[in-house]
Amino acid sequence: MPAALTLFFQAMFARSYARVIWMFRNRTWILQETLLPMLSVAAFAYAYRAMNAPDRFVGYVVLGAAMTAFWFNVLWSMGAHLYWERDSGNLELYIMSPAPMMAILAGMALGGMATTCTRAVAILVTGILVFDAPITFEHGGTALGVFGLTLVALYGLGMMFASLFLLWGREAWHIVNLLQEPVFLMTGMNFPVKIFLNLPLVIVGSALFIPLTAGMDAMRQLLFTGTGDRLMALEYEVAILAGLAVFFVVAARWLLTVLERKAKVDGKLGLRWQ
Amino acid sequence: MAMTSHLRTLKWSTWLGWQVESNWANPWLFTLYLVVKPVTGSLMLVCMFLAADMAADTAFGRGVPPEFLPYIYVSNACYALVGAVMFGMSSVVIADRESYRMLKYIFISPAEFQTYFLGRGFAKAMEGIGGAIITLLAGLALPGISKSLTFANIDAGWLLAYLVVGFVMLWAAGMVLASAMLNMSRSSMFLSEGIAGVIYFLSGVVFPLAILPSWLKPVSVCLPTTYWLEGMRRSILGPPPSDSPLGQSPIAGWSNFELLLAMIVSTLVLTTAAQFFYRWSVRKAWRNGKIEETSGM
Repeated sequence: MPAALTLFFQAMFARSYARVIWMFRNRTWILQETLLPMLSVAAFAYAYRAMNAPDRFVGYVVLGAAMTAFWFNVLWSMGAHLYWERDSGNLELYIMSPAPMMAILAGMALGGMATTCTRAVAILVTGILVFDAPITFEHGGTALGVFGLTLVALYGLGMMFASLFLLWGREAWHIVNLLQEPVFLMTGMNFPVKIFLNLPLVIVGSALFIPLTAGMDAMRQLLFTGTGDRLMALEYEVAILAGLAVFFVVAARWLLTVLERKAKVDGKLGLRWQ
Repeated sequence: MAMTSHLRTLKWSTWLGWQVESNWANPWLFTLYLVVKPVTGSLMLVCMFLAADMAADTAFGRGVPPEFLPYIYVSNACYALVGAVMFGMSSVVIADRESYRMLKYIFISPAEFQTYFLGRGFAKAMEGIGGAIITLLAGLALPGISKSLTFANIDAGWLLAYLVVGFVMLWAAGMVLASAMLNMSRSSMFLSEGIAGVIYFLSGVVFPLAILPSWLKPVSVCLPTTYWLEGMRRSILGPPPSDSPLGQSPIAGWSNFELLLAMIVSTLVLTTAAQFFYRWSVRKAWRNGKIEETSGM
């Protein structure tokens, strides 16, 4: 294997190791990452029950909570992470080292996916057991494939965010906060996005630019409802996700090069507490 | 003299809190931030209502009672204030200690430590009140909400009373959280988010309490936030229709006076507990060197 490729994989696994080992060293996450999402799942599940919504809506909320874990991971542990690394003084070391930054980002994504998958499964299982969500695994294999594709697109977006965050200072915290509720709304985290069909096409198009929208709609079709609440046919959603995955990973690579250079020129690589 | 010192600390900590919250962006971007976050959060509930209404209509031939929409919308707007004050005050400990590393300097300065937290809470409250007002105004654009959100339904006297007692309650709850944070490091955000989740769930922010399992209802009725949210909803929307499922909550039959009395009593208990807990926590944190401890989070 060429030395550059070996270095890439070594750096990637080294960066993901730190994320995965954390799960075994600090076990508070079991409580933290399952109990907290379950409280909001409970609130929304009871809201749907109070409104006499069909049972599958509780399933949507549980699936939404599991996918929220990935979105939070993308925002806080991918997007904002280089900003934090800069604040803690590690970013200079990353840049100085011979390891490619893309490998660091890929390692962060890989480690993040592994740890968040554990949390998401815990949320899903607890939610299904506690709230008796009517899930079916008839198309489980396809759902798993769609889920994998969604994650590639989502973490590609996360890698893109990470480079963008190199430009930001204290506003990074607020931008991450700002990317929560609006994204929950646009992606239909707790409700079928089918209700957006009456809205202008530009809104639906913008929503579909976030991988969670097509990913969750496709998974809902496969795990809960069939075609009842779907936004569009499964094949189109898979095609959208594949397109987004390629686009975000390529864009992340390009942005990283451009913005790392800009951060160096502007003297922002080591600038803290601004 | 002591009062002057408290007022000076309150003034400057509120100013500092406002600067920290707002000066990261130009005023237009900050205003957009103030508007977008709470409004989209509430719009998500509106979408949930619309989706449930459509599905229930298709599946069972009857939609969701229309009074649900203003209920969850107003409730959620008011809850924003809970989040802003309570969790804003507690996050100050983390931000000042871990991020800016200034907490130890505040502690050794002549500033009144507890009043400093109150001032930072005020700054957050301004943001929260701004967000809540903007959300309610945005609700006027939605037909299902604007019908209930009228001046005729608003009871200004009770609204003011609930707001005043509510702010004391939120300050006391925020002090409990901030005090706990003084002796915690990595798990502190967990505590804050956990309490937020418990309050959101058990105070019936997005559903009537009648639907909770019977073993959870007494817990819910013990929370001052439950009374506060019920009072705020009533003073903004008026009481729910008598035949509505929203009127079946355990405290729905209480008069405004009874509700306010329960809130005052529970707030007094909470405030007393918060003061004892604060003194004990500060002493413990000071002895164990926690006021300057950073955990690299």
